Amino acid sequence: MEFAEFYESTRDDCLRIVLLHVGDRHLAHDLVAEAYTRAWMSWRKVRELEVPRAWVVRTALNTHVSWWRRRRHEVALGHHDTAMPAELATAVSGDLLAALRRLPARQREVVTLRLLLDLDTETTARVLGIAPGTVGAHLHRAVATLRAAIPSHDGQEISK
Amino acid sequence: MNANDTVAVVRDSLTTAKDSLAGVHMNTPPDAIARNGRARRRWHRLTGLTGATAVVAGTALAVTALAPSGHPASQSGHPASHPRTAQLAAWTVAKQANGDIKVTIRQLSDPSGLQSTLRADGLPASVTSLAQHDPSCRPYPQTQALFKSIYQAQKAAGSGNTILIIHPSALPSGAGVQIGAAVDQQVGDRGLHPVAVNQTIHHSVLQPVHQVAARAHYGVIRVGLVYASQQCTGS
Repeated sequence: MEFAEFYESTRDDCLRIVLLHVGDRHLAHDLVAEAYTRAWMSWRKVRELEVPRAWVVRTALNTHVSWWRRRRHEVALGHHDTAMPAELATAVSGDLLAALRRLPARQREVVTLRLLLDLDTETTARVLGIAPGTVGAHLHRAVATLRAAIPSHDGQEISK
Repeated sequence: MNANDTVAVVRDSLTTAKDSLAGVHMNTPPDAIARNGRARRRWHRLTGLTGATAVVAGTALAVTALAPSGHPASQSGHPASHPRTAQLAAWTVAKQANGDIKVTIRQLSDPSGLQSTLRADGLPASVTSLAQHDPSCRPYPQTQALFKSIYQAQKAAGSGNTILIIHPSALPSGAGVQIGAAVDQQVGDRGLHPVAVNQTIHHSVLQPVHQVAARAHYGVIRVGLVYASQQCTGS
């Protein structure tokens, strides 16, 4: 597969997944563009991966962590321009996305690969370099946390 | 509800959230990604040179970027004794009578030239591409009040250029300024001279942990404070 073909077929999905994690449209775009740029630069290696789009999403999210560490001491100038997509505010509980963002890194990776990229347990394990059983354990813990943040049908949130 | 049902509920909720973003598209064309990758490679090759060579290379780029300003660069191209106003195609640095330094940014390019000019004005400064992490720089502890006493960002009327005003007198002893610039992947393949931002730049903040001085459609400028050191800020 050529890079352009890969990019065309995966870019929107990757952007939306990263956007769920970071909650800021501009930032998500920057992170995904950065990840695809790195994918282009290492395309010979990336194209051989089992799930190149998983590499892109993980790279974007890792870049987010890196940027945060590097830039956390900066303070804002100029006008505040929130870029949280309005669609998210109405589609799901904000608590769910907040809970997703608070998950430990490995649990968040497992949720991303298993539930958002829809990979099976074995593929997820290979991508992350961990045992399938470990994937299951992380997913179990993560899902318990996320489920508690989803309102029940009667409008009451489920407690742990 | 068993474990599989719980997974299904969470999966459905996350899928609903993702589907709600169907109108969100990654609109950067693929050739722009490739061009940015090529520019990045050139940048890496350039900055991978030895320090002295890199300075010369950066100087050469600064010279090629000179705009007709009436203040030509010195023979070496290094603005060690640059006039009160140093103007390149990418940016202008003007030292004000009160000691403030006014940086007008038109292009997110030539960080080494801007760094040299600021240092020549006596300002401990590190100017980098955001893609280039400088391990010699350490963030300086700061409060928002301190930060805002040092930096002001404005948008120039008409041109829309970003103006960054730095108040060196407000810098604590041992601190220096750090400016980072990055071009967006929609930027054309212009190597180290990326697209001008004057038509599209606007001030905004990405989010609390990614504060920026100015964010352009084609790029982003971030500012911060670092510990001054010979390696990081030149003094």
